[in-house]
Amino acid sequence: MTNPASSLFLSAEDDLKINEIFRSLRERYAGYQDPWGFNIELCERSLRRLIPVYRKYFKVRVFGEENVKDHSYIVASNHSGQIPLDGMLIIIAFLIDVAPPRVLRAMVDRFMAKLPFIGDYSAQTGAILGERRNCEFLIDHGESILVFPEGLKGITKNTSEFYKLRPFSEGFYRTALQKKTPILPVCVIGAEEMYPFVFHAKSLAKFLRLPTLPLTANLIPLPSPIDIYIGPEIEIPPTLEAEASDKEVKEKVYEVEHTIKRMLIQGLKNRRPFLDLIRKPISKYVIRETKAKGAR
Amino acid sequence: MEKKKKILFIGIAGGLALMTARLILSENPDWEIVGIDSRNISDLYPIKNLTALQMKYSRGNFENLFRGHQFDAVYHLGRISHASNEQNILAKRIDLSVMGTNRILEMCERSGVEKVIILSTFHVYGALSDNPIFLTEDAPLRASIKNPELRDVVEMDQISTNWMWKNQNTISTVVLRPCNIIGTKIQNAMTKFLAGPVALSPVDYNPFFQFIHEFDMAQILYRALTKLPTGTYNVAGNDFISMREALKVVGTTGIPFPMMLAGGFNRMLKKLSIEVPAYLIDYLKYSCLISNHELKKHLGDEFHRFSIKEALDLIKLR
Repeated sequence: MTNPASSLFLSAEDDLKINEIFRSLRERYAGYQDPWGFNIELCERSLRRLIPVYRKYFKVRVFGEENVKDHSYIVASNHSGQIPLDGMLIIIAFLIDVAPPRVLRAMVDRFMAKLPFIGDYSAQTGAILGERRNCEFLIDHGESILVFPEGLKGITKNTSEFYKLRPFSEGFYRTALQKKTPILPVCVIGAEEMYPFVFHAKSLAKFLRLPTLPLTANLIPLPSPIDIYIGPEIEIPPTLEAEASDKEVKEKVYEVEHTIKRMLIQGLKNRRPFLDLIRKPISKYVIRETKAKGAR
Repeated sequence: MEKKKKILFIGIAGGLALMTARLILSENPDWEIVGIDSRNISDLYPIKNLTALQMKYSRGNFENLFRGHQFDAVYHLGRISHASNEQNILAKRIDLSVMGTNRILEMCERSGVEKVIILSTFHVYGALSDNPIFLTEDAPLRASIKNPELRDVVEMDQISTNWMWKNQNTISTVVLRPCNIIGTKIQNAMTKFLAGPVALSPVDYNPFFQFIHEFDMAQILYRALTKLPTGTYNVAGNDFISMREALKVVGTTGIPFPMMLAGGFNRMLKKLSIEVPAYLIDYLKYSCLISNHELKKHLGDEFHRFSIKEALDLIKLR
C-alpha cells in the first residue's frame, strides 16, 4: 500500500523500497538516542520528497555498489557544486541503491551548524559537525561517516578548476587510523555542471563573515546527469598508529586522493552529454591527465 | 569505625548546600557542620549539629573561623549565581567568587584541611556551535569568549583546578562541573526558565540538554567526600533531552520563538527591566553536552536515581 506521506512523483516501486528500508533502519536505531538529534521520521519524509529529484531530475547512476560491505566506513568523496548537493545525492545513494541501506553521517563545516533552521534540519537528517571526537563517537556506534577531505575549498572552484581536486586534509585519515575503519573512496561526476558559471565574491564573503560566497548565473541547479562511483575499500595499515608522523599520514592521504582522482578521470570519460560548451576545459584536463598517466 | 568529622559548608543558605548538609548529618549523626553564607540566614530552619553563620568569606573574620575550628573537609558551594548581568552584582560576583575562592583555598592550605570539594558548573565550557559531543574535563573553558560576564565563573574554576594540582600531594580536592541542576529547592536560571508559566521554545535550533535532580546532586556531593580522588569531574546522567521535549515533559507552555532574534529581543526586554541571562540564549541555540565517563569510573554506572524525565517531572512540584 502506498504511504500517504509519499510525494506525488514517487513511483510505487520506490515507495515500497523506502518502506522496507526504513523498517530495517527503525529496527537498527531502536533504543538509540542521537546527541545531534538525528530524526528518522524526518529523514524518511525528506527522502520521499527527494527521490524524484534524484531519479528524474539528476538521473543519478550508481556504480560499484558491490564494493560496499556491511560494516562502518569513512566514505571520502570529491566535493563539487557551489551548494553541496553532492553530499545529499551520496546520502540518498547509500540509502536506496546500496545494500545494506545506511544513513551516512555527513561531516559539515562549523559555519553550517551556526545557521538557524538549516543547521537544525541538517542535524536532524544526520549531519554532524566535522570534529574528530564526533566521528569517533559515531564509528563506535557502528555508523558510517561521509567526509569531503577537500573541505570548503572543494566547492569554491571557478569554472576553469572544475574536477581538479584540492589537496586533501589529514583529519579523516587520523580518525580512520584511530578507529581502524576502512576508507571507501567515492567520486561524483556531474555536480560541477549544476552551476556552470561561477564567480567567488571573496571580499564580500569576508565582509559578510561567510566562509564562501559563490555567485552563479542560476540559483536553481541545472539538471546535470550525476554518476556516483564507489571504489573498493582502502584498508588501513594495521601497524600505523593514529599519532604517526605527518609525513607518513600525508603519504597515505595522498594515496586516497590519487585513488579518487583516478576514479574521476575514468568517470569523466564515461559521462553523459550535458552542457558540452563548458566541458571543453574539463575534456582538455582529462586528456592531459590520461596522457600523463600513460607517460608514467 | 569512621572518624568523627567536622565540615565547613560555604554557601549554606543555598538549597543544594542545605540538602547536602542534611544528607551528611542523617548518614553521620555525630559529625559536625559549620555553615556560612553572605546571604541572610535568619530564617534557616535549625538542624542538630549544624551551626549557621552569616559572614563574607572575603573578609577577616573568615580567617578566625579556621583558627577556631579544625575542619576535616570544606565544601565550597558559595559561588554567586551568574544569572544576572547587573553591574553591581557582577562586581560582587567577582569579589566573592574569584577573590573569595582564593581566600578559601588559602585558608584550607594553611589550616591542614584534608578534603576540599568545589562546586563549579558546566557553563565554564560555553555553548558554542563547534562544541564536540561529549565534552570531557580536559576541554578548553570557552564560556567567557562569547559571554565576558561569565569570566568570574571561568576564573573561579581555573583558580580551583590550578590550586588542586599544586596541592595534590597534601590535599585531596574535587572540582565538580555539574550539568543543569534542577529541583524544587534550586533557584537557578534553568529551573526558573523551565518551571515558569511560559518559556521560549526555539524553532530554528534544537539544542540538547542534560539535567540532574538536586537530590542526585546532593548524593554525589556527599559521595565525593570519600569516593572521588583529586580531580575535575563532569556531572551528568547518561541521557539528554531537547528543550522542546523538556518543556513538554514539565508541562510549560512553549512559545515558539526564532532564537536568531533573541539577542535583539533581550536587549529590548532589558530596557523594560526584564532580563534573560545572555549566556542562556546561547544554550538555547547550541548543545553543550558533557561526558560522565570520569565520574562513572569512581561512582559506578548507577550513580544517580532520577532519569531526566523523572527530574523534569519533579519540577512540577514547585
